[in-house]
Amino acid sequence: MSTHASILKHPLRVRMFHYFLVLSFIPLAATGVALFLKPFTEAAMNMLMRVHVIAGMVLTLDAAAFFVLALDRVVLFTKRAFTFGLNDVKWFAVLGGYPQKFLLRKKVPVPPMGKYNSGQKLFGACILVGGILLIGTGLSLWLFPHVIPHALAKAFGDIHLIAGLFLTLFLLVHIFLGIYMFDDFKAMFLHGRIPYEEAAEVAPLWVQGEIVALTDRS
Amino acid sequence: MSAEEYQYIENPMSVSRREFLSISGALIALTALPAAVVRRMAVKRNDYIRARTAGLYKDDTNAKVRVSHANQGVSRLYQDFLGNPLSEVSEELLHTRYIDRSRAMA
Repeated sequence: MSTHASILKHPLRVRMFHYFLVLSFIPLAATGVALFLKPFTEAAMNMLMRVHVIAGMVLTLDAAAFFVLALDRVVLFTKRAFTFGLNDVKWFAVLGGYPQKFLLRKKVPVPPMGKYNSGQKLFGACILVGGILLIGTGLSLWLFPHVIPHALAKAFGDIHLIAGLFLTLFLLVHIFLGIYMFDDFKAMFLHGRIPYEEAAEVAPLWVQGEIVALTDRS
Repeated sequence: MSAEEYQYIENPMSVSRREFLSISGALIALTALPAAVVRRMAVKRNDYIRARTAGLYKDDTNAKVRVSHANQGVSRLYQDFLGNPLSEVSEELLHTRYIDRSRAMA
């Protein structure tokens, strides 16, 4: 096998979805935290609320478009995110070997993973559930707060706050590990492909079970 | 991106037809059901508004006097005391002015 062989890991429509997700979720997280803490003047808070609503609309349209135009990718992602097995238990037992690598400079054996490791799967499941909750509650509170019963509006507000804070904390870890896995970072933001050798090392189950050569399909 | 830049792709058949239908069905149900529940609750919440509107219309239909200018009591009040609509006395007694209470309420 050529050392220059590469796999298309993130097709263009996935990257497009991710671009808009980055453009919308980072402002949403920043303005959401500011709206929660209220550190600025009333006029500034109103402006932040407008930014939050606009970014929320971008996120909603992005998610809806991806759901409709790339349902196969959504299904694949959901399947992977919600498939847990013994390997995942073993992965969580050593936390993917990251603390040992970062803190002790030690490499510990990690069970073989698929396209996503167990931490990414957990993140994916939280993104899926949390994202649906955030969009659903946010849209309801913005579009028709006057017709929602008071108790339900209060529950929606609480769910929106908890899911938002939870995903914002997760986002920080995601950004850190995303940049740490720099080839994957470049694949997601630039060209979509990662070196075959690296994929075979990091995600052997994915390469063995789900990857096909382009020539095999023709 | 041209096909020459990568030699491998994910097998598009890595999800079976059964898995595709069940997962996409579950996702659609998970997003559509809460929307239906919220809609039902919102509609139910407006039931009392509809009932009150219907009651007001019913009262109006049954009322002998349905407009203020046909109300003999009001006509007599103007005749004996207020003078005419928008008179100085009626302005003072019947009209109010806007007071911004938003700061007090906050």
